Amino acid sequence: MSLRVLLNLVPLAAKQLYRHRIRTLLTVAGIGAGMFLFSLVESMQQAVAGATEANAEDVTLVVYRENRFCPSTSRLPIYYEDEIRKIPGVREVIPIQITVNNCGASLDIITFRGVPPNRLPSYAPEIEVIAGSLEEWGRIDDGALVGRTFAQKRGLAPGEAFEAAGVRVRVAGIIDSPYPQDNNVAYVHLPFLQQASRRGLGEVTQFNVRVSNAEQVERVANAIDERFASSEEPTHTQPEKAFFAQTARELIELTGFTRWIGLGAVIAVLGLVANAVLLVVRTRIRENAVLQTLGYPDPAVGWLVLLEGMLLGMAGGLLGTGGAMGFLAAARITFGNEGQVLAVLADPTILVRGLLLALGLGALAALYPAWIAVRNPIVESLRS
Amino acid sequence: MSTSNDILVRCRGVTKQYKKGETLVTPLESLDLDVPRGDFLAMMGPSGSGKTTLLNLLSGIDQPTSGTIEFDGMEIQDLPRRKLAGWRARHVGYIFQLYHLVPVLTAFENVELPLLLDDMSRRDRRERVEAALSLVGLADRVHHYPRELSGGQEQRVAIARALVADPALLVADEPTGDLDREAADAILGLLQTLVREQHKTVVMVTHDPRAADAAMRILHLEKGRLQEAAV
Repeated sequence: MSLRVLLNLVPLAAKQLYRHRIRTLLTVAGIGAGMFLFSLVESMQQAVAGATEANAEDVTLVVYRENRFCPSTSRLPIYYEDEIRKIPGVREVIPIQITVNNCGASLDIITFRGVPPNRLPSYAPEIEVIAGSLEEWGRIDDGALVGRTFAQKRGLAPGEAFEAAGVRVRVAGIIDSPYPQDNNVAYVHLPFLQQASRRGLGEVTQFNVRVSNAEQVERVANAIDERFASSEEPTHTQPEKAFFAQTARELIELTGFTRWIGLGAVIAVLGLVANAVLLVVRTRIRENAVLQTLGYPDPAVGWLVLLEGMLLGMAGGLLGTGGAMGFLAAARITFGNEGQVLAVLADPTILVRGLLLALGLGALAALYPAWIAVRNPIVESLRS
Repeated sequence: MSTSNDILVRCRGVTKQYKKGETLVTPLESLDLDVPRGDFLAMMGPSGSGKTTLLNLLSGIDQPTSGTIEFDGMEIQDLPRRKLAGWRARHVGYIFQLYHLVPVLTAFENVELPLLLDDMSRRDRRERVEAALSLVGLADRVHHYPRELSGGQEQRVAIARALVADPALLVADEPTGDLDREAADAILGLLQTLVREQHKTVVMVTHDPRAADAAMRILHLEKGRLQEAAV
């Protein structure tokens, strides 16, 4: 059967679905609910994977105090910066003060990153100021460059002030970063945050270290920890993602469990489509026999049934996956632990994957009904 | 006397048997039949006499237990299911007693159904469907749904659907069985016109003697055997 013939059958399949409107709508709603769940779970998994799976381009190390509970409880002398800089393979070091409103696992984490104002462009060259200006931020001591997601979630605009974690700042600009987690933080001046969080100017919570190349990451991390092993404040150095994977272990286990929810949603979709198409086929045995009498070969009748399953899957997939993407875009969900923030984003690849999956599930679920539609002799079906 | 070239359908020793529980049923037994081209043949007989079975065998939706059925010189009784479907699509138009139109499709779309299997352009399909609907006098009902048509009009749509692929043979199973007298006469008149003007061959099963009178020949079947033929 040619593609042209197959395409000729698509409107016929769609009209057959329209014929049982209520059943079709209920089935599409059910598939939509399943695919909504699936897409949310996939988005969460993707957020975790993006924040924890290291890749060859990762050259950023984070130096914390050993045995710290949370970034904000890590206390390191600021003079470590000069010592770290001397270690071969280190390209850039920046002292950072982290202040968070909640160190436990939470869906509402506010993170301030205090960085030396003149070094932000070299620390994070990828960020783009999309409202306000970097100059304004450099000019005002209590200025904050707020991540896009953070700003949208709280409805913040340049010129406005807000207070969180005992720190009151003025929004100097809104920034956009290709790294989703950076869109959920507010960059402030390091001295300002040190004072506002009553740390004092001699301490920071961490150093972020850029290494010359990925091959040197492990060696540099070991060298840093060895350098301060006998100091008053020993360090623990790891790639940023490894820290998150370690500190957010419970979250990762939890999101791992949600895979089962996703699988359950997929099975529910499969059952829904199979049930709907089977019911339709059973009420149309004679009609399919009429088509066969008109000369429709078994594959054409079978394809007609498969197309109905695929259309149901596609409609439900659009509703569910599209709905999930819309929900994520509107709700701007973030979650995190120990000051590390994860953004669950509406990702077009999940939309495409969800649609393809729904289409495939529709076809798979309609296989048995398609066989039912053609298995009987025509004369027998005409008599039914 | 008909020459072999004039014969469209030739049945020789056609027997059909099937099992119903433990009982072997023989609706047709050793039947010989010739249907010349351009014939309008009515088959009559009591219920269970085998007329619908014969119609099903002639139209290729069923296969005989033994014997041969030749269509235009080609034996069709042993064709595999898929080839038989292709053969039906090209050579046979089937008209059902209860029309069996798809309710969510318009008259146009119902008639278009057999053509969806062909690799023809949408424009060609439209021309053929419109021609078929014009032929049955329903050019002004193209976009009507079956529920918006009378029984007679529905049967006309079914006839247009049977005609649209231009088959040589039209088989009709009680085509007027569900219609009032006036509508039935109109359908029979249409079948006669198709034989006369479109050179179609029509084999019709009917219980109604008035319907049979419209045919050129009447065959009586009883207990699976041909009893008599009348002209």
